[in-house]
Amino acid sequence: MDQSAFAAALLDPSLPLPAGVTCARGEPDATRFSVYRNNVVASLSRALGERFPVVRRLVGDEFFNGMARAFLTVSLPRSPLIFAYGDTFPDFVAGFAPAAALPYLADTARLEANWTRAYHAADATPLPVERLLAIAPERLAGIRLLLHPAVALARSDFAIGTIWQAHQAEVVGSVIVAASESVLVTRPTFDVRVHVVPPADGVFADSVLRGETLGEAAATAFARHPDFDFGHALLGLASLGAFADSPLQGDPA
Amino acid sequence: MNRQTLALALAGSLVSAFATTAYAAPLPAEKMVGMEKCYGIALKGQNDCAAGAGTTCAGTSTMDYQANAWKAVPAGTCTSMEVNGHMGMLKPM
Repeated sequence: MDQSAFAAALLDPSLPLPAGVTCARGEPDATRFSVYRNNVVASLSRALGERFPVVRRLVGDEFFNGMARAFLTVSLPRSPLIFAYGDTFPDFVAGFAPAAALPYLADTARLEANWTRAYHAADATPLPVERLLAIAPERLAGIRLLLHPAVALARSDFAIGTIWQAHQAEVVGSVIVAASESVLVTRPTFDVRVHVVPPADGVFADSVLRGETLGEAAATAFARHPDFDFGHALLGLASLGAFADSPLQGDPA
Repeated sequence: MNRQTLALALAGSLVSAFATTAYAAPLPAEKMVGMEKCYGIALKGQNDCAAGAGTTCAGTSTMDYQANAWKAVPAGTCTSMEVNGHMGMLKPM
């Protein structure tokens, strides 16, 4: 049996029944293949729905399932780990024309993807906050702190943290979404933690998470928010578990 | 701000933050769990594994999986979201 033809026919019902798909008597069995094809679609759609429960509730099951089907025709799982499926779903949602009226949808999906990644990330001991004080003052600006494996930040022009929080309840009330939010996800021990951090700290955290030194990240935050409080931000991020314990090395400038 | 000034400013800011918040004393790792209350807005979620299943046998041969005849509209809780003072959607579909 030609596996590539079989795989292609799984996702495109206009393609002919793959050769070799037969019933016991040797005749082509379109019905059985159709059941199999639908199981592929239904199971992957369901996996997406369980990874993105807030997005699913936002748009409703019918719309979500349609969006999931559109996604899986362009992005099949690349890992046997089903919880990793959908890493690219937020980007897909951002470009999905029927959802264009919901501009906060893609960023909400990013937050949900971050949550699942944090849940399954490797364990690591967070950097004890008092270790920050042991850094020599002249080396502080050049340091790149080791990021905790679970940490992730989602920045949005919309109130994605508030939206996410509202959907943890059975009944979702009115939410004003037109407010920018930076949402940090960490897992210092066993529980995933979700925090809305101050806007200036979101800029800082974004730079740090992209690998900038503390000095570079602070400069970026100062430029955007003159009232940025470096010490409070760094201490806050460390206390939430954004950094992993490690020997603190200065940047070899 | 030159390099030296920046370094001193950052260090001073950090020392000040330690001095003015509840972080001053060294804390054992197990105590750090509660510290997130001191920073940002903690959001409470349902801490279970969201993605697990996906191995269901839910398919049938009659399910419509064709995405080319798109006519669904978002009909979930998005209708109770308020964008720029308008309920529901930012712009008409």
